[in-house]
Amino acid sequence: MRLAITIVVLLLLTLAATSGLWRTEAQSPAGVLRIRVRVKADDASPLRGLARKRFFLIPGTLEQNRALIEAIERQPLLSRDCYYRKLNASAALIEWLKAGDCESVYCREIEQEFIAGPKAVPEFAVAFVKSQTAFGDETARKWLTTNLDANVREGFYKDRQTTILTLLKQATVPYQSVMTDRNGTAYFTDLEPGAYVLSNVAPAELGQTAVSWNCEVQVKQGDLATEKPYLISNRKDRLVKCVGVEKPLPACN
Amino acid sequence: MKLIILITLISVSLWQRVDYSKFSHATKKHQAECKTCHLVPSDDWRRLSKFPDVVEYPDHVACVSCHRAQFFKGARPPICSVCHSKTSPRDEARYAFRNPASRLQFTIEFPHDKHQDVIAGLFNVRRPGVALAHALAPQQQNYNNCTICHASQTTTFKAAPSDHASCFNCHWQSQEPVAANCNGCHKLATAPYDAATTPARISSKFIHEGGGEKANHVLECTACHINITKSKTLRGLKPDVPITACTECHNKEGLRQDVSKELAAIDKNRAFTCVYCHAPNVGSLDPPASHYLIAERPPLKRKDIK
Repeated sequence: MRLAITIVVLLLLTLAATSGLWRTEAQSPAGVLRIRVRVKADDASPLRGLARKRFFLIPGTLEQNRALIEAIERQPLLSRDCYYRKLNASAALIEWLKAGDCESVYCREIEQEFIAGPKAVPEFAVAFVKSQTAFGDETARKWLTTNLDANVREGFYKDRQTTILTLLKQATVPYQSVMTDRNGTAYFTDLEPGAYVLSNVAPAELGQTAVSWNCEVQVKQGDLATEKPYLISNRKDRLVKCVGVEKPLPACN
Repeated sequence: MKLIILITLISVSLWQRVDYSKFSHATKKHQAECKTCHLVPSDDWRRLSKFPDVVEYPDHVACVSCHRAQFFKGARPPICSVCHSKTSPRDEARYAFRNPASRLQFTIEFPHDKHQDVIAGLFNVRRPGVALAHALAPQQQNYNNCTICHASQTTTFKAAPSDHASCFNCHWQSQEPVAANCNGCHKLATAPYDAATTPARISSKFIHEGGGEKANHVLECTACHINITKSKTLRGLKPDVPITACTECHNKEGLRQDVSKELAAIDKNRAFTCVYCHAPNVGSLDPPASHYLIAERPPLKRKDIK
């Protein structure tokens, strides 16, 4: 009887080992996907890396994520300019945000020339005075954002985050997100092999248009991103694997 | 019977004896709102700090309200030594706040992903042409980016924040977690622990400011630290620079073959220690499979080399 049990156990162990139930780390390195986003604002502009934009990698095919993709495509777009105009923000602030392609005031250092003088942003000037009273001269400029109205400070960013998170609640499995660097490159790591949907969920503003990317991508086992990056663009090219859908930015009401 | 009760009471009191020279935030009665004891900012922050901060221990009233008995126990009450370097009614000297010799009781919650979203300024708006250059001028590293928190500690390593300077400039008020909401960032650890003095590094020869005359290492941080922008917490954060970040220059046909050369040296002498990037503790280990993949070779173990 003991011998029979031992044989059955040994057989099960052999079966498990050969069927890949026990895979060693060396046998199953997780995949890596390196993306590079290169865009043209218009036909006359050169291709450039799309910097500081968040991309999402959602497990499953386009078909499996169809409901989510349709919801993303239906989502109304509120541009940064329109958001801040609706807030009655100053033209100087809108220009300051635009110059840095900023979604909030945190993405650029607020230099002295934007507090006083011809380039001054009125919202910053008011917050600076409040900061001076609270913290003294030395700290006032660096801590200026603590005295800005919350919507001016980061309302647009928070609105977009709420939209993105609401949409992604429809994703039935955990997703990854990464942000592109200055060259438009980003890496998704520790990926199980299989199909994924690559999406920016909230359209990226590019000059006078907004670009959405929703593409299916296959991740191979053991890919350490030593191959060429997965090229994403708003322009068709033989090397581009994911072409974005461009729509004109809506007019502000 | 009386003797048994007496012995039991003495045993229980001995068992429950509290060391009042040690303060723990884990004690249930010490888990009230932080502002119950800590003033944010301290009354005299200007004396010790350039910015409003918690720079002092709580006032006596925070302790006396519960610990009157321990407070007035003998000439040198042990409870005083939690904050005071000399326990004497005639000496007010205190340790620096927080006492660097004491073990840490809190871990820090810091979502890199959210912060990268909002603070990462990627190009100098005054000189947009510079943005595409491979190597950036050193001052551009300071451009409201990772160096807000991670300044250069040595030529090799960047420092991690050790105070509130890089937090309160945004989180002082109205931007949650605000300064008064200590728990927003500080989470009580399961047990006190010692702060790491030096970070563990695999490629300890790497110099952030290096990369030859062109300072090719002076890149945007996320170009190599590829997992930072997806990291929601500090827990489980590990060195995340892939070998490909190095080998785009250091193992490139017609440029350099630093990885391939050292792998070839191991082929000739399995005791060879890789020294170009690593200190001996790492350089004497088996090279990982990723290194062999870069060199377009099957992985090998030193013990298998004859």
